Amino acid sequence: MKRVVLIAGALALAGCNGGTVDRHALTKDASTLDSIACEGALLAHDVAHGRTTAYFAREQAEELRIQSSNLADALSRRKTVRGIEKKVRKKAKDAARLASTLQRLHDHPTERAVGAAVEQVLKKAGSCP
Amino acid sequence: MSKFLGLALGILAAIGGFVDIGDLVFNVSAGATFGYQLLWVVVVGVVGIIVYSEMCGRVAAVSGKAVFDAIRERVGFTPALGALLASEVVNLMTLAAEVGGVAISLQLLSGLPYRWLILLAIVGLAVIVWVTSFEWLERIFGYGGLCLLVFAVAAVKLDPAWGKVGKGFLPHLAQNNKLLYAYFAIGLLGAALTPYEVYFYSSGGIEDEWSPKELGLNRANAIIGYGLGGFLSFALMITGGALFLGHGISPEHLGTIALGAENPLGKTGLLLALVGILFAVGGASIDTVFSGAYNLAQFCGWEWGRYRHPRGAPRFTLTWLVLLVLALAIVMTGVDPVILTEYAVIFSVVALPLTYIPILLVANDKTYMGRYRNGRLANTLGLFYLVVIMVVALSAVPLMVLTNVGQN
Repeated sequence: MKRVVLIAGALALAGCNGGTVDRHALTKDASTLDSIACEGALLAHDVAHGRTTAYFAREQAEELRIQSSNLADALSRRKTVRGIEKKVRKKAKDAARLASTLQRLHDHPTERAVGAAVEQVLKKAGSCP
Repeated sequence: MSKFLGLALGILAAIGGFVDIGDLVFNVSAGATFGYQLLWVVVVGVVGIIVYSEMCGRVAAVSGKAVFDAIRERVGFTPALGALLASEVVNLMTLAAEVGGVAISLQLLSGLPYRWLILLAIVGLAVIVWVTSFEWLERIFGYGGLCLLVFAVAAVKLDPAWGKVGKGFLPHLAQNNKLLYAYFAIGLLGAALTPYEVYFYSSGGIEDEWSPKELGLNRANAIIGYGLGGFLSFALMITGGALFLGHGISPEHLGTIALGAENPLGKTGLLLALVGILFAVGGASIDTVFSGAYNLAQFCGWEWGRYRHPRGAPRFTLTWLVLLVLALAIVMTGVDPVILTEYAVIFSVVALPLTYIPILLVANDKTYMGRYRNGRLANTLGLFYLVVIMVVALSAVPLMVLTNVGQN
């Protein structure tokens, strides 16, 4: 039993990677940001076409904003492995921009023009189909 | 009509147990990650829960004993205590997650602050459970959760590649990302076979005063109720595959699930999805809070059941009230209900053998069951699923660690 616990602990620590951003973590975070952007674009599309409610659009945009804002915070502060620091900090800025775009959607959940504009920005940011 | 209403226990157990917050997220995430490839796992899970629910419903109808009564009598005090502790911890984690889910659904519907809605959800659940009979709890949450059928309409409207959907029902291994595929498969099976479903179902059979005359109703409840749960799981996974996979979206929020109905169906789809989610997670809260109280009361030999007035079973009543307060304390810490439920599902998998082995033993026991004991088909399926459960139980935690809780 002790051995199982030790192995599980070691694996968990390996997974955590001590909080340092490596290439794998960067790729993962980048794909999370793309996912947030594409989900935001889908939501903005529905705002632009009057297919959602104000409460839903506002609350969901806020959830996505918090998620991207947290990522921006983490990527701007965490240590990185050698050679990728610039890329990591650039991603942090992308995440912060994403958060501020989602804030617009949160602030104007019923304005179709804002929805259309935000959709275009987010689609481009996340390279969404 | 009365026969239709009689199916409410199965529908509540299925909507609240099979399609709770974890299943909603797990099924849509599986679709968003692997398309329709994991549909066959849902089929395996649905058949498994039907087999064991039918068994424990039959035990309840014939012997008048719920699952935990049988566990205590059949496996002895110490293993039963282990099963009790494991099930109570998992129940509490799941309950907290479901209460969080109720608050999120209300927030998405009303725009009110989340923390106030947590409080409202807890008080609302306590009042509803206190004043409503078991029969009406089943009906309100079971049939309210049927709004989730909007996802079946959404799945059709999204026009998925039906050939690929059909292939998804054939068991197969993943071509790539095998560990993550295995993690999702284990999670889907674990979510389908969550122990609280059978605790609730068997105790519910006793609440509904089943006797051997109701064995047909028991079978219909298990097959139709969980069959419906499985159908909803298919719809959610197909929606995930048809909408989110194509857009590169990994669903991590309850609201994202509702977006799956909003995008193809507009406001009506969104509202039905949110109301369906509200009733499903509300029903799951009732399932889990009762399961926790049932298990403790049955283990300790206390009076239990909602068919009694709360004062007629005071320790049972106090237990579910305390569980609600503990859930409130957990969810008020700000923990993400979706993440909490994913951990709850994986940890519940580890406790599966402690629940299902005694059911199989008791359902085969002539002294309990007489001529209603398991036949050859029930035993073959029961043993097959026991092997599946053991494999799932042994691999759940390693896969959770290796895939970083499905984050790969």
